[in-house]
This record gives sequence, structure tokens and C-alpha cells, in this order.
Amino acid sequence: MSTGRRRLSTVLIANRGEIALRVARACRASGIRVVAACSSADRDSAVTRVADRTIHIGPPKARKSYLNAPALIQAALMAGADGIHPGYGFLSEDADFADACAAAGLVFVGPPAAVMRRLGDKSTARAAMAAAGLPLLPGAVEPVPTAHEAALLATEVGYPVIIKSVAGGGGRGMRVVHHPGELADAFAETTATARALFGDGRVYVERYLANARHVEVQVLCDGHGHGVHLGVRDCSVQRRRQKLIEESPAPALPDTLIDRLTGAAVRGALATGYVGAGTFEFLVDPAGRFSFMEVNCRIQVEHPVTEMVTGIDLVSEQLRVAAGEPLGYGQEDVRFTGVAVECRVNAEDPDRDFAPAAGVLTEFVPPGGPFVRVDTHAYTGYRVPAAYDSLLAKVIVWAPGRDTALARMRHALTEFRIGGPGVHTTARYLSAVLADPRFAEARHDTHLLDDFALTTTTNDGTE
Amino acid sequence: MTDVGLSPGTGDVPGDWDYARDLVFAQPAASAVRAVLREAADTVATLLTSGPAPARLSVRAGEVAIEVSWPDRTAVPAGPAPTSTVDTMDTADTADTVAERPGPDVTVVTASTVGVFYRAPSPEADPYVREGDHVRQGQQVGIVEAMKLMIPVEADRAGTVVRILRDNGDEVEYGDALMELGAP
Repeated sequence: MSTGRRRLSTVLIANRGEIALRVARACRASGIRVVAACSSADRDSAVTRVADRTIHIGPPKARKSYLNAPALIQAALMAGADGIHPGYGFLSEDADFADACAAAGLVFVGPPAAVMRRLGDKSTARAAMAAAGLPLLPGAVEPVPTAHEAALLATEVGYPVIIKSVAGGGGRGMRVVHHPGELADAFAETTATARALFGDGRVYVERYLANARHVEVQVLCDGHGHGVHLGVRDCSVQRRRQKLIEESPAPALPDTLIDRLTGAAVRGALATGYVGAGTFEFLVDPAGRFSFMEVNCRIQVEHPVTEMVTGIDLVSEQLRVAAGEPLGYGQEDVRFTGVAVECRVNAEDPDRDFAPAAGVLTEFVPPGGPFVRVDTHAYTGYRVPAAYDSLLAKVIVWAPGRDTALARMRHALTEFRIGGPGVHTTARYLSAVLADPRFAEARHDTHLLDDFALTTTTNDGTE
Repeated sequence: MTDVGLSPGTGDVPGDWDYARDLVFAQPAASAVRAVLREAADTVATLLTSGPAPARLSVRAGEVAIEVSWPDRTAVPAGPAPTSTVDTMDTADTADTVAERPGPDVTVVTASTVGVFYRAPSPEADPYVREGDHVRQGQQVGIVEAMKLMIPVEADRAGTVVRILRDNGDEVEYGDALMELGAP
């Protein structure tokens, strides 16, 4: 990436839902014109009310709209945009899309394509991080080509192991293997899944940690060789590898461990020429050892908890850095205050195995009050489309300490009113998780929800 | 002419493996490369044998990149569009329903992508259709260009061109009405 400054005057948002609205707000705060790109399913979406211009790019199917690179770039050029913000998901980590933007003279708001390519491939990412001195789980840096080699490796590192897609992401394309007898089938299945999902069947094998916490570091780097971390987030509350609750800082971790995690992430970012906002994901075991998992080369769903404890608007920083501006501050200028927690309220039915429960929202009244933030694109009368992911709203709260933050979150979720024919949400399930003593006392790990039943619900003040 | 080449990618190979050696068991590089090549060969074979040939193709797996290009034989865009041009705005089956229905109803041919609408294959050429022309189902009646991809606009039914709604060179969005077709 060149270090020259390029003013961003108009940005096309190549995304939808709450993140499109979030990016639009950051653009407006920065004096940047907003072009919304929407599919047929999103023509009435909230971002279109905030945007200076909306361009209809394709039918609901993402492959023909939000994943349709030529249409998005064409729309950006037609609207006179000088940059594209990809949000998260869709094309946000597609290095070829970043290249295509550059070829069309557009600033891609994200890391340079070459960096994204190297870090997006888990094999080369692991190699790069090992070279930068970051600890990895025992296993292979290189992809493992055959089930036979995978079995030899698994014996060497010890069971359980996890087989992961090299190109994977979003918690998909991986499988845990507990016994040697399951390995050949698991290898074949993961390879086939990876090829189907990501068009790349390569997999690697590493030791699987059963009682780990998912802790990630937010980094922010400019194009001039400067980078800072914005603290850690704990995202251990996951259901089938999908995050449900995130918080910053990570609770019950020693400061010295957090210092080592953040130091490792900044070292890894600077060693690979990272530019922009990025997340380094780690697993932390009960003994306080940590291992690098992967880098997410984009803004993340859970970025607001970091914003709440640092006071730094991450999306505005992305736009500044993409325009070539220096960060203008150092690590010592980043101050952390209090605790922030985020809950993802999805349009899913917990009683029907979290099946998507889309429909028209006849009632949508988000919670409010001090230190409560709701990032959502939904409103009363909004039709939740079935074509996309089910994230409806992110409720984020801040408080001076964790206990008060969790109490505030419980009240906020209780206050949240969402209704409509056939519409179900995860709000009540989230309340039950918040009330779980293992979570409340920060004794949980990534398996908290494996055997979690809604019957453990304690209702908090609703009756 | 088809040109298939294999070249190493531009990714850096880390030089300092000392730390990693303690923690990981590196696989023989040769087997990894073989796996990549197998993967690439499968992918290319699939692409060459299915659907219309792309003008340029880039396949990348880790450190290895394969680029395939088919040099332009003609200036005129050839081959069917990669996406159906009869998709209408909200449901894919609307067009079929309309096409099945007899009668004098006027139907609208819409843009299948955001882009620039052209009425003729080149600036000097005659337009594909003029008002009053009869068209058969599937006949090309225009082009929408998006990022140098020339996507044919086709009549989704037989009929008479009643009205052409957009000028040559107009920027259009997905679903924009381009022309009206009346009874044949």
C-alpha cells in the first residue's frame, strides 16, 4: 500500500444490515458521501435512509448482489465513489476483490491485498506468525495432503486433534477428532466440506484444546509502519462456533498474560505489513498458555465492545487509515476504561434448534438508558429477509465493572421488545446464559453452551 | 487459443523457522505442492468443461497461482451471459409466469445487472432492435456492460418492441426497465 494520502470523498458500502448502517454513520461523521449498494431484498433497509444515493445491484441471492464484484465496482464508479467499504462477511476478506478495486482506481477499506492473501490462507498465516515468534498449537504449518499423513501427525501431537480448512473462516470447515478410528472419515468429510464451501479442499491438523477460552486482540495499523492494540475481547460464549456474547476486557485473565497477547498481536501485525483494523485470534488454556489461531482482516461484528472501553471509533479509524493518514497517536495514548459486553440478538428460534425465524416485525422497541447502545438495521414494520444471516441487533452495554455491566445487559435484554408473526429471537436464551454462574463468575470456556438448556433460565425481573 | 500457465505466487516464504520448529512439525513441501496442483487441476478442468468460457481466469491456492486467459477473437461479446437475463426484480419465476400467459399484456425487459446499457453491438452497428420490431423469445435486444463484462439483454418472450425506455449509453441499475414488449 502506498503511503500517500488519498482523500475519500464518496464511499460505496458493499454490505447490508447493521454493519452497512454502522459504516454509513462513520462516513457521515467523517464528511464522506455514502452510496448504499442494495439487493432487491434490501431496498427499504435502514442504510438507504442514511445514504446519499442507493444503487440497486442485484437480486436477493448474495452471489448475484453482495458477492457480485463486477456489479459492486461498476456501481461505485457510476456513483463517483473513490472508495469501497466491504463491512464484514461477503467480500470483506477477498483479496481478489481488493485487487479489482485497486485496478478500478478505488480505495479498498482494508489491508493491502497481498497481506490479506497471505493472512487469509491459514497455512501461510501460521507460517508468518511462527516466523514472527507467535506460539502455535502443535500441528502442521503446511496443509496435510492425505488422511495417512494426517493420522501420523495426529499420533505425533496427541489426540484430540482438529482438522481445519486452510481457506476456512466463520467457524465453518473444521472438525474435532477424538480417536484415531474417526480420523480417516473426518479427514475426507472436512476436505469435501472445505472444497464445497471455500473452493479449496486443503486442510491442516493441529492439537485440539478442550478447555480453552477464545481471546482476541484488536489491532489498528496505519500505512506508515505504526500500529497499536486496542485491548482484548473474550468471545468464548459460542454456539456451534458462532459467537453469541463478547466482552472487553477478557475477564479473569492476569494483566501479564494480556500484555503478552497484545504484544504478540502487534508484533504479528507489523511483521506482515498489516494496515487497517484487524483481529488476532488466540486460544488461551487454563494454565495461561496461548496459541495463535487466525487473523481476521476486517472490522468485526463485536468491534463495539472495543469502542466502548477505548472511546475510539474503529470504523472512522479504518476510513482515516485507508485514506493514508497516520494514526497520530501511540500505545500510551490508548486508555481503557470499564467493561463492555455485547449480545447478538438473532432472528432464530432457540426452541427449534435455532432455526432462522424471519418475518415482519410488528413490534420492535430496542432498550435504552445510560451506557446502552443498540446497533441494528431493524425497525417496526421491517421484514427480516430469509436470504441472509439472522443477526437482528447487537446490544452493547458499558459499566465501570463486569458485574454491573452484566446486570445492565440483563435489564436491557428484558426491555427489548421484538414481535411479529413467526418471529423468534435469541434474547431470552442470551438472558439465560448471562444468568449462568459459570459465565457470571468467568469460569467458562468455549464449551459453555455445549450442554446448555434453556430450562436453566432464571427470569430476571420480568414477572 | 487457450493459454494455461503455472507460476509461483508472490507470497513471502518466512525465513526464520527456529521458533516454529519447536512447536510445529513442518510437512514436506513437495507433498503440499502436489496437493495444490491436484486441487488446481481439478478446478481448471471443471472450469474448462462447464459453462461459457471466461475471458480471464485466476485460480489461487496458497503460494501458487494459475492464470488462464482466452484472448479476444472478436470485438463483439460472445457467448451467453453467466447469469440469466430473465430474472426479474424479486422472484425468479415471474418471467416464466408472464411468458406463459397469452394475451396482449405488455411485459418489461429489465437490466440483469447494474451497468451501461447499449442498444447496438458497436457504435457503428445497427441497433439490435427498433420500436415495432418483432422479436422471438431469447433474442438479444441489447447489452449491459459491467466492468467490461458484456452481458446480453434478451427478450424473455416473443413479441413486438412497443417502446424502448432507455437511451444508448445510459447507466442502469439492476431491475431497471429497458424496453416494453407487446403481443407478437
